[in-house]
Amino acid sequence: MIIRKIGENILSPISFTTEENLAAVMAGRSALRRYDSLWGLPFPCFASLIPDDLLESAFESDVEKGRLLMDSYTKFEKVVLLSAVKALDSCKIDATSERVVFILSSTKGNVGLLADENPDVERVTPAHTARMVARYFGNPNMPITVSNACISGLCAQIEAFRCLRSGQYDTAVVIGADVLSPFIVAGFQSLKALSDEQCRPFSANRKGLNLGEAAATVVYTVDDAAEDGWRMLAGAVRNDANHISGPSRTGEGSYRALCSVLDDSGLTADDLACLNVHGTSTLYNDEMESIAINRAGLSGVPVNAMKGYFGHTLGAAGILETLLTMRALENGKVPATRGFDELGVSMPVQVSAEHLDTGKKAFVKLLSGFGGCNAAAAFVKV
Amino acid sequence: METMVTHRVKLTPECLEVDGQRVAEAVAGESFLMQLYRKYGMGYPKFFKMDVLCRVGFIASELLLAAEGGERFVPRADRAVILFNRNTSLHADRSFQATIADAEDFYPSPSVFVYTLPNIVTGEIAIRNKYHGESEFILLPEKSETAMNQAVERALMDKETTSVLAGWVEALSEEEYEAEMELVSS
Amino acid sequence: MELTEELKTKMIEVLNLEEMTPADIDENAPLFGDEGLGLDSIDVLELIVLLERNYGIKIADPKQGKEIFASVRTMADYVAANRTK
Repeated sequence: MIIRKIGENILSPISFTTEENLAAVMAGRSALRRYDSLWGLPFPCFASLIPDDLLESAFESDVEKGRLLMDSYTKFEKVVLLSAVKALDSCKIDATSERVVFILSSTKGNVGLLADENPDVERVTPAHTARMVARYFGNPNMPITVSNACISGLCAQIEAFRCLRSGQYDTAVVIGADVLSPFIVAGFQSLKALSDEQCRPFSANRKGLNLGEAAATVVYTVDDAAEDGWRMLAGAVRNDANHISGPSRTGEGSYRALCSVLDDSGLTADDLACLNVHGTSTLYNDEMESIAINRAGLSGVPVNAMKGYFGHTLGAAGILETLLTMRALENGKVPATRGFDELGVSMPVQVSAEHLDTGKKAFVKLLSGFGGCNAAAAFVKV
Repeated sequence: METMVTHRVKLTPECLEVDGQRVAEAVAGESFLMQLYRKYGMGYPKFFKMDVLCRVGFIASELLLAAEGGERFVPRADRAVILFNRNTSLHADRSFQATIADAEDFYPSPSVFVYTLPNIVTGEIAIRNKYHGESEFILLPEKSETAMNQAVERALMDKETTSVLAGWVEALSEEEYEAEMELVSS
Repeated sequence: MELTEELKTKMIEVLNLEEMTPADIDENAPLFGDEGLGLDSIDVLELIVLLERNYGIKIADPKQGKEIFASVRTMADYVAANRTK
């Protein structure tokens, strides 16, 4: 059974289209910048934020007012809905069909609402947002929301893959999104995980991660007659069973997830144009990934990370980074790891600060997250 | 897909049921979760660090796995942990928000922040039991047996997964929670 | 209260060492690793918050914490020498 990508959108601070986001990556541009006191927080940070005015005008022009069921929409709700609208505009599917399912990936959804004096707590959960989106499109099915920390965007695609492979649905609309708030920024700061400079994945002088806002949507369908296009081949989720916030010293879960998708997809190291990794730029994540990559026999495969362009976009990351890797490979390029300079992990990995030429059309996406979770998925273009 | 539920646990602030039998009821005094932790001699100091969602999920999983019997704490990758609720980690979210609400007393708590992700409870269960298989937290707009069963069947599509520890775990406070957990085999 | 006793009481509270009393904590025993209290990386971060909030001591680099938080004794010595409140 062939699971093929038929629609997509990336909505980031750089642009609200996939094409312009890809162009920015290829030009080495980023919306990451330093904020001395974002929202009055008592520390500097380096982040990538979607401008409210741009979002507002796009929402006004692209979203059909007649279908909106609520009086007002939060930033999170707007990016989720707008990205889905744009993705569904890019493909012709009947979203009202009971053969279509909506899947949302988010880590913190509307958590920013908790700062309100009388917060609308019903609305904090991303499950509420997922239902709002499904209803906007007139979809009759209960949406699935994956909230599995930083790997959510891959988990959501894996859920979609299985929904289609099992025959339960024919088409899955997978949306990933998170927006920032004092809650999220202060939280990562309390873990001493943030850098106040440009993040530097896998570099010796890396100081931590940058946070970013984004939404990204991918639409997959069952298409056994497909002659071309991107296919999802396999996906796996594995746990370190080690610590809720510290990555495994043996890269256990990532190693196991990588082995599983290589085995399931039949791909070998030689087939892979690249391994698009998590690469948050924290000391422990990048070190852990270097160990897992080596254990899985992938030390010779080009490795790249997108966090230097967009920051860590949390629930959007798995989808945004998958889509950009696909589009770059279509152009015969493995994108540079922006921010990388001198390798600073204990095991050899092929990270580059320059774009690489490639003729290969397959890759593996890897993510890891709090709760000891890790996910990998394999894709190929025919 | 043919699946079989081998054991079930239901935990509320009033009582505990294992495989349909009421085996414990809350008595006056400390919280029911603490009573169960002591009654069943769980001896796991990390329990005290957990937020309420993790405590509820941990206690329910311990009793479910005790009902299963057999050797525990041996590393394995054939069991997935898939849990569900509606309100994500709302209790921990509110606790963390309280640590950043006052600009004059702004001390965001790292140990509270780590629990502001619903999937931490699946991680706690995986760590306790050395489960290297799939772990995932799914949010549903309402409790739905159908949606949960479908997700369990999807998890069993992973060829390394032969059983799933699955269930609904919602914890709004120390006094308001519900866990319905089961072991499902393919 | 003596500083070591004060620190033990505060640690039990912020680290949720529920079943312990200050008397259970040996001020010279290691706080991390398998012996002693067995604290982890999140506990270090929470101890850093404790020092900042109660004694006005800022520790930017968690790695610096390794020596400061070796035991309750080393922590008390550091607080005594560096406290601003």
